Amino acid sequence: MIKLTINNQTVEVPQWKTILEAAHQLEIDIPTMCHLEGTEHFTSCMICLVKDRRNGRLMPSCSMPVADGMDIVTNDEECTDSRKAALELLLSEHVGDCEAPCQLVCPAHMNIPLMNRLIVKGEFAKALQVVKRDIALPAVLGRICPAPCEAGCRRKQVDEAVAICHLKQFVADEDLKETIPYLPVAQPSTGKKVAIVGAGPAGLAAAYYLQLKGHQAVVFDKNEKAGGDLLKIDREILPSSILENEIAVIARSGAEFRFDQTIDRQKFQEIKNEFDAVVLATGSQEQENPFGLKSSKQGIDVDKLTYRTSDDKVFAIGNALRPSKLAVRSVGQGKEVAAIIDRFLKSGTVKANPERFNSKFGKLYQVEFNEYLKESVKAERLDTQNDFSQEEARAEAERCMHCDCRNPESCKLRLFSDEFDAGQKRFQTSERKIVQKFVHREGIVYEPAKCIKCGICVRLTQQYQEEFGFTFIGRGFDVKIGVPFNESVQNALRKTAALVAEKCPTGALAMYGEEEHLKSGQ
Amino acid sequence: MYRKIGEGEVNETTNISQVVEQIVAEKGTVQKSVIPILQAIQEKYNYLPEEALKKVCELTEITPEKIIGIATFYSKFRLEPAGDHRIKICVGTACHVKGAGLVYDAFKRHFNLKGNEETDASGKYTLEKVACLGCCTLAPVVQIDDVTYGHVASDKIANVINDFESQVGKTGRRKGLFRTADGEEFQGEIRIGLGSCCVASGSAEVQKAVEQTVEGTGVNIQLKHVGCVGMCHQVPLVEVIPKNEKPVLYAKVKPEDVKNIIGTHFKPAGLFDKMKNGMYNFFEKVQTDQVWEGVQRFSIDFREEKVSDFLDRQIPIATEHRGVINPLDMEEYKSYGGFKAQYISLKRLDSEQIVQKVFDSGLRGRGGGGFRTGLKWQMVKNQQSDIKYLICNGDEGDPGAFMDRMLLESYPYRVIEGMVIAAKAVGATHGYFYIRAEYPLAVRRIRQALANCREHHYLGENIMDSGFSFDIEIAEGAGAFVCGEETAMMASIEGNRGFPHIRPPFPAEKGLWGNPTLINNTETYAQVPYIIREGEGKFNAIGTATSKGTKVFALAGKINRGGLIEVPMGITVRQIVEEIGGGVQGGKKFKAVQIGGPSGGCIPASMYDTPIDYESLIQAGAMMGSGGLVVLDETDCMVDIARYFLSFTQNESCGKCTFCRIGTKRMLDILEKITSGKGTKNDLEELKYLAGWTQKGSLCGLGRTAPNPVLSTLKYFHDEYEAHIEGRCPSGKCKDLIRYHITDDCIGCTKCAQKCPTDAIKFEPHKVHVVDTEKCIKCDACKQVCPVEAVEIVSP
Repeated sequence: MIKLTINNQTVEVPQWKTILEAAHQLEIDIPTMCHLEGTEHFTSCMICLVKDRRNGRLMPSCSMPVADGMDIVTNDEECTDSRKAALELLLSEHVGDCEAPCQLVCPAHMNIPLMNRLIVKGEFAKALQVVKRDIALPAVLGRICPAPCEAGCRRKQVDEAVAICHLKQFVADEDLKETIPYLPVAQPSTGKKVAIVGAGPAGLAAAYYLQLKGHQAVVFDKNEKAGGDLLKIDREILPSSILENEIAVIARSGAEFRFDQTIDRQKFQEIKNEFDAVVLATGSQEQENPFGLKSSKQGIDVDKLTYRTSDDKVFAIGNALRPSKLAVRSVGQGKEVAAIIDRFLKSGTVKANPERFNSKFGKLYQVEFNEYLKESVKAERLDTQNDFSQEEARAEAERCMHCDCRNPESCKLRLFSDEFDAGQKRFQTSERKIVQKFVHREGIVYEPAKCIKCGICVRLTQQYQEEFGFTFIGRGFDVKIGVPFNESVQNALRKTAALVAEKCPTGALAMYGEEEHLKSGQ
Repeated sequence: MYRKIGEGEVNETTNISQVVEQIVAEKGTVQKSVIPILQAIQEKYNYLPEEALKKVCELTEITPEKIIGIATFYSKFRLEPAGDHRIKICVGTACHVKGAGLVYDAFKRHFNLKGNEETDASGKYTLEKVACLGCCTLAPVVQIDDVTYGHVASDKIANVINDFESQVGKTGRRKGLFRTADGEEFQGEIRIGLGSCCVASGSAEVQKAVEQTVEGTGVNIQLKHVGCVGMCHQVPLVEVIPKNEKPVLYAKVKPEDVKNIIGTHFKPAGLFDKMKNGMYNFFEKVQTDQVWEGVQRFSIDFREEKVSDFLDRQIPIATEHRGVINPLDMEEYKSYGGFKAQYISLKRLDSEQIVQKVFDSGLRGRGGGGFRTGLKWQMVKNQQSDIKYLICNGDEGDPGAFMDRMLLESYPYRVIEGMVIAAKAVGATHGYFYIRAEYPLAVRRIRQALANCREHHYLGENIMDSGFSFDIEIAEGAGAFVCGEETAMMASIEGNRGFPHIRPPFPAEKGLWGNPTLINNTETYAQVPYIIREGEGKFNAIGTATSKGTKVFALAGKINRGGLIEVPMGITVRQIVEEIGGGVQGGKKFKAVQIGGPSGGCIPASMYDTPIDYESLIQAGAMMGSGGLVVLDETDCMVDIARYFLSFTQNESCGKCTFCRIGTKRMLDILEKITSGKGTKNDLEELKYLAGWTQKGSLCGLGRTAPNPVLSTLKYFHDEYEAHIEGRCPSGKCKDLIRYHITDDCIGCTKCAQKCPTDAIKFEPHKVHVVDTEKCIKCDACKQVCPVEAVEIVSP
């Protein structure tokens, strides 16, 4: 037996065990990507570097055998720095998007590609559920939103953007046709109360998401009914019934409305005393320093990441911050502030919503259009003023090119990039690689530009004795994983498609229908 | 005759099938046969037809995954057909500093190749850059098929091609390479160098001339082949040893000089008339030989030269009896004490005693790391195993190094003897020579030497009736620098991609096919016979406190006398450059010496007196490496040198671990940005950051040492980096930062205008010429051709 210490804990393991195995015995976690239990180690990603304090040397724990007297540290600054460096290098040649450009530009951060794919499948109700994770008033926004998402849509480069906004309206309208439109089950009541001043798009969204989190939202508005600025919109564009029906859903979630309320400084003080938190969604402010809060000409001053005002329990969103014609931004902020307040009420601290690492690569090259069209159809944008029929909606949604990654949640590269604060741009010192997609609609999708060359798939296809399998082609920086004799990926993975997709540490290999965002219930 | 395409294909396929069947029958069907099989297929077809590879998978245990993995890993293999002739432009260090890049560009222009194209439109020639061909003293070197051209200038491409076309088909007719005669009758001996440099520079032609001259004259001399003398800067070398007279060494001999040389030393009656004729022919040739302008396939002149300076400071141990013994003449090797150490080791010493002697000699690994050889042997000896392997690492890939090549070519028996002694010491049962693909001559010599040894019982079963059995086979590399790393080398011998493996387990514990394996460098083995024969004390008495014995270096670059030298440890850089090398070429100022190739670093002029030993070199930021020693002068740009070495390692990275695969690429990107004048101060910081992590985080020695050339130049030549960031290249090397200018010294001879490939210089007789900087592609042709040095390079 070999005796060593890891993070000051002593452990004994048999000879030829690795440091990683010894660490696991102590329940010490070390990040790995190229390592896969049951296959020979490959020592490629170098994310698992640990340090032997005796000589200060860094070594890959996944493959370094233990030795007597080793004094290993797994998480000091040098170790974490090495991980960051390795990740930044890997990211510098990782060409792919964690999330689709459309989703990233959407102020409400709606998962557009997922909605589209569900529409294609005819699962309109599910599509609506995806929409409602981020947007409380989709039927309304579907009619009035200037659709910044469509400006970000990659399809625009090929021909025209997907009619995202219209599709969102379609699923929302389908839902409103139901006797009881969709309302998710709320979390158990927390007994906390949040006052929301203003029943415009921001306030309504905040109320909706706070209710779902189990908090009692009470909405104050100076008008006699909810809607705020939305009430001023031409009825031709936004019929009253649509607005009312969507507000009704919010009311059904348990939000309480108090109309004809003018909030002056005294009333504000009363509310503050009565409620656990206050959200100001008052729309544009004319007065200076409303309610005694710090502000500028534009509006109330808030911390950009938490929406907190100069008053600890008061938050402000929407046009109260600065005038904007983008209702979708207000709606998005309503959702965001609800999450922040939820954490505040549960933990007492105000923390920004975690900003996740996002791999991005920008515009497609001309030669990549066809690669992306492999997951789409060659059809023109369906431009109609009328509401989409189901068939039209499915046809239009099919034009979506699936820019988002299939493994946005399980991807270790993303996970660790978040954990070790790695940036993607730092070492992008030369032209990026060309994106290729090998799509087998009944099976696996392979995107080499996302591959980190960890070789797990090569080892697995070897182990399962695939006739062709995967192999390393070339060497050095240009090495890639491919199939011998230019056989199809499908032929390479007759037995192991699902397995390699599961074990791939990134989104380079995934099953065609993989929808992690449905599994995680995010 | 008309033939249907379909039939042709069938015929072709059956042909391939038959060929592959034959190759497989010869090379074997197991995994380790894969590289020899691929080499044989490529030999046959000039590339690897997919059909053939599929057939191999059908006939052997080699899977498609393996065969493609390997065929695409080693740079020697091609999956696409190449031209009829392959033009290999050596981009080793010595060639690089002498303008190999410009030569490559010139070839591309000559064949009108755009972008990544390598084969010319007619499909006749394929252009490729190759790692060091090991003819550093002839730099820049170009090899077309098996003809080597030295000192190729960028404006002489057409001449080279013309000459090659005139040579095509002749190469097979070199007969009578060897003459045996009764020694007693000889009036003397003529020795002709047979090292790669000599052969490349035309020693075969010289020999033919000797044979022709002597024929029918009654002069009875012994013609003898000798290995590399080390004076590669003077090749081809001919040494004449008249009976009872002092030997005279002739350098840079060309065939037409031979008559004159022979006439000087041997004067039998009847030869005189012939000599007169010969002299006449000689002068006539000199005056009319226009084709050879500047292309020194043969040298311009011959002269007697005292070379004692070059040899005096050297102590030949690995290169003992250099210039004297015929590489393959076993009797001669024996007459100079050859196989004596093997006899002692096999008959009189037990393995413990051998290990002890080697340990006490203080010998350290000559491959670069400097690990105590005795200790390594002890480790392998201590392993309990029925099977133990021994490998001779002859995968010398450092650009600018050619020690292994020379030792293998010139002293094959000595290396084999060292290996047999080592085998006895550690109990090895089977040995391998791993020799890189670029050294075909070394492979041929070793193959022959092994056969001779077996025949004479120096190898094989029951060697020298000692009861000890051991045999050696050759594993040829296929173009992968990383295979010099021992774990990668073992992977390659086993028939895999040359991916290195983490250590431990060390090869001594679990090596080839999981068995204990001893791996030493060629030079290390070559020093063993001396230690055993002359005694460990004698070896130990040479050198410094921690570095014992001698080290062989390949001295090249901007030096007067380049070549192979063997010097005692502790000798200073200054002594090597000034005394042995005869100082910097062309009276230029010494700037630095690059030691250790891509893993090493630069030692600047301020540290000229650094002694050559393992520790001092590491301390100076360089390393012994395998022993490349490239002298740089004031016209060499140190940022460009760093970029050059990094581009080498980046290109040779196996691609396994993140830091080496991407780290070296990103460092290279940054260096390219800097040498193109677009770098920023922040780039220097990022460069250091990446260098640091690549050093600390890479899996194997290649990656860990790859940043050394960058770090050492950053350390000693920081001002040059800063100058580039300000948009200047002080040495005038970096293309993007310089322009060509013609001074008033111009005599209007129009030579530059005629040479200019882009019409950037207008043809204006008797006027001062002007370079149009818009059109200029900085090919350097004008500067090279100008008779009055009126072309200058300007950097802002």
